[in-house]
Amino acid sequence: MEEVDVEPTTTPIPGFDSNQKHLGFVWGPGDILVYETIYKASGGSAGGCPFVHEVRKDEDIYSPILRKLFNESHHIFVGLQRIREDLPSKNKKPQFVSISKNYRSVIRACMEELQQVAVYHNDSLGNTLLSLELIWNLCEVLFIDAAPAGSLVLHLLDWVRLHKADVDEKAREVLASESPAEHQAYWDVVISYVLQGRMDEARQVLVKQAALQPAARVMFKLLDNLLMKMPIFNPGETQTLTEFDVKWRHWREEVDHCLQDQSFASNRHLEDICKILVGDEDVLLEYKELLSTWYHFLVTRLLFSHPTVKPTELHYYAQSSMHMFLDTRSVPEPLDSILLAAFEFDIHQVIKDCSIALNNWWFVGHLTDLLDHCKLLQSHNLHFGSNLREFLLLEYASGLFTHHSLWQLAVDYFDHCPEFGRVYLELQIERVPLDTERKALKVIRICEQRQMTEQVRSICKIMAKKALRNNRLGSALSWSIRAKDAAFATLISERFLQDYCAKGTFSDLDLIDNLGPAMLLSDRLTFLGKYREFHRLYGEKRFSDAAKLLLSLMTAKIAPHSFWMTLLTDALPLLEQKEVIFSADQTHELMFCLEELTSGKSVPTPDKPMQDEDIETTKIELLRLALARNLAMAIVKEGTVEI
Amino acid sequence: MVSVINTVDTSHEDMIHDAQMDYYGTRLATCSSDRSVKIFDVKNGGQILVADLRGHEGPVWQVAWAHPMYGNILASCSYDRKVIIWKEENGTWDKMYEYTGHDSSVNSVCWGPYDFGLILACGSSDGAISLVTCSGDQQWDIKKISNAHTIGCNAVSWAPSVVPGSLIDQPSGQKPNFIKRFVSGGCDNLVKLWKEEDGQWKEDQKLEAHSDWVRDVGWAPSIGLPTSTIASCSQDGRVFIWTCDDLSGNTWTAKLLHKFNDVVWHVSWSVTGNILAVSGGDNKVTLWKESADGQWACISDVNKGQGAVSSIADGATNEQ
Repeated sequence: MEEVDVEPTTTPIPGFDSNQKHLGFVWGPGDILVYETIYKASGGSAGGCPFVHEVRKDEDIYSPILRKLFNESHHIFVGLQRIREDLPSKNKKPQFVSISKNYRSVIRACMEELQQVAVYHNDSLGNTLLSLELIWNLCEVLFIDAAPAGSLVLHLLDWVRLHKADVDEKAREVLASESPAEHQAYWDVVISYVLQGRMDEARQVLVKQAALQPAARVMFKLLDNLLMKMPIFNPGETQTLTEFDVKWRHWREEVDHCLQDQSFASNRHLEDICKILVGDEDVLLEYKELLSTWYHFLVTRLLFSHPTVKPTELHYYAQSSMHMFLDTRSVPEPLDSILLAAFEFDIHQVIKDCSIALNNWWFVGHLTDLLDHCKLLQSHNLHFGSNLREFLLLEYASGLFTHHSLWQLAVDYFDHCPEFGRVYLELQIERVPLDTERKALKVIRICEQRQMTEQVRSICKIMAKKALRNNRLGSALSWSIRAKDAAFATLISERFLQDYCAKGTFSDLDLIDNLGPAMLLSDRLTFLGKYREFHRLYGEKRFSDAAKLLLSLMTAKIAPHSFWMTLLTDALPLLEQKEVIFSADQTHELMFCLEELTSGKSVPTPDKPMQDEDIETTKIELLRLALARNLAMAIVKEGTVEI
Repeated sequence: MVSVINTVDTSHEDMIHDAQMDYYGTRLATCSSDRSVKIFDVKNGGQILVADLRGHEGPVWQVAWAHPMYGNILASCSYDRKVIIWKEENGTWDKMYEYTGHDSSVNSVCWGPYDFGLILACGSSDGAISLVTCSGDQQWDIKKISNAHTIGCNAVSWAPSVVPGSLIDQPSGQKPNFIKRFVSGGCDNLVKLWKEEDGQWKEDQKLEAHSDWVRDVGWAPSIGLPTSTIASCSQDGRVFIWTCDDLSGNTWTAKLLHKFNDVVWHVSWSVTGNILAVSGGDNKVTLWKESADGQWACISDVNKGQGAVSSIADGATNEQ
């Protein structure tokens, strides 16, 4: 047994009140059942609890807000799978980045919708989504976009800015006020901008203060100048990283000079800004509240002390930043561990931690799939390699299958799991409740598209049985034909015939008339079809064709013996026509049939009521008479020579 | 990780011994020491009593739903030595067949895969296992394996219908290679595999590893691999996972999943066979999963206890 890194979560079930009882457990097709019971070696017990609880593993599936997330990400997922394998990787990177951004925008759209709905106890969901987007964004920057030194800090800055939107709100508030420079939050805004590397905005706000203090104009101009001149790496330019580094160091020295010169000594705020610009960590930490997170602190640190940081160097800074920022007593949150793992480029750890921390597999499934497409999983030499992707996707899709409409999305996910996707689909799709014909047809179509013939047959049989239970014979028949279920078709044909005998008419004529080759599925069905044809011919007054058919039904043994009496009775009107329809030979055959039938009936059955006997005998007498008369007429007709 | 979404009040007057969802999760069947079998409609979180079936004269141990293609059919087995098969016809449930061929409590019933037709395996305290097959309208054939386990048989479970691996080789359109097999566990501490050959049931394998009565066995659903997997649990507190890699089904290897401190009463596989639930005397149900490198890990504990559980369903919060 493997050692697990974390203790498995224990879920208490409410209501069980005694320590003497055991927990019964049963898998449902979707949910789980638990109930109280006692297991004992021998039978008998006293007293029990009548409750059975239905327990569900994944509540998120049923959240209407997340429905959009599942639907849209499904769309993106399918598009991603279709990207051609043969294109070289470097051409695909922009595509992957774009797909990553699509996923993130779907998360953001959900968050916005949540805010609009503003149901307060969905806050935890909102926070979760926020964290998800944060993590995904970082993964995109570090793994998918894989920014090199120089661009790396810029991307990380963007990342931080995106997730610290309150700065702009505060700034708007300050600038909209009567006297911005005297606003309580004024310096917070300025410093926040500087911490985020947004020098232009910082300068714009600083100008307000400068206007208020004409005496210190020189000082403000100096700072403004420094802020303006701060070198920012531009990956598009021809400037190399080294050149940038030199330029940056120059500038830093200049700022340092100003500090040494005590140029800003008279204004504590300006001096702090200067100290931040040279990357003074102590000062940075004084502004913990404005930074609010250790990773903001990290990025700011990098911006002002090592903007040319290489990806491989990140983890030193990440770890130290976290330690410096967080209270040594506090335990790191799951989010912190995940981000740290990302900074350490330990993709495996990121996925593992996310799997444990999150309630459903959506996030890790889609992210891992994307990373796998970027060929990032293999290069990290995972235990599972690409199996991890499939493992997670199977989990996610299986979870979707319990939902009454989302299960259709799951089908595509299974399609793209080459090893077990198909068999998982086969096992799960049989469990989709076939409430309506339409739903059944939908499920069948999905199965047919994937050549899952066993499942199609099984579903058709189930629908046929259901239709029969509800006395919808026509529907039952068409389902059993589709299922190629000869036995059931026979059963239903019998019912049709019984109904005919009882009522004298057929139901579902359309169906029977248009059976076509399906008629051959079962003998009884063939008979049903042909018998109906006989009636049609009779109706169209094509008497000789009808007669021929009727006879062949008996002689070719298509008709069951039990039905022969009815057939012969049907022959009566044909025999009593003025015109001779049955030829002499045919009449002979009919007589043979009658004899065959009556010889079996020579033994009187004691339990048959007298009336039935009488009716039977009368019928037979009538038939014999009609046949004899017809024979006579036929012989005469055939013997007559037309002159 | 899990939340309670619905609680069905079965109104059973005594201990519940088994509860089973039907194929689609829309109906629930329960059985109890109060000798009744009850069926509820649990669609959309509701509970409507559909049937209260009386016919047993002792505690009813297990219920099992047949495949929906045969209609709505439920089997139940009881201390009264009877196995009753119930069927829903025209909206009402009635006894379809009653089997009284055992001399002692029938402890376990299990329907075979639907491809085999309607066939039910029953394990009894008289040591025998019966195979009850529906051969036509109201016609039932019985095959009995006497002395399958000395002292008594506690559990039976069917193998999936396709011989693992053969699906890959079959050209489409041909009937797959069916071999009827099932596994049983008994008071002789053994797990036995049974195979039907030429219309007769023969003991195929004897798996020894437990040191006390085997209480439950479960054959995992097939996921297309050429491996067969069986779980067994026993009063000795151990749960074993048995695997067989070859198609002929001859070499089985045992892996100890875990040794618990108390009797382990039940094991059951999830629908896709990737999670095993183990119910133990330590009042907990643990869920186990096999990771990609073949190790089994415990992923969750579900246990009884007091305390509030908040279940969130579509935005509403209720505390229980």
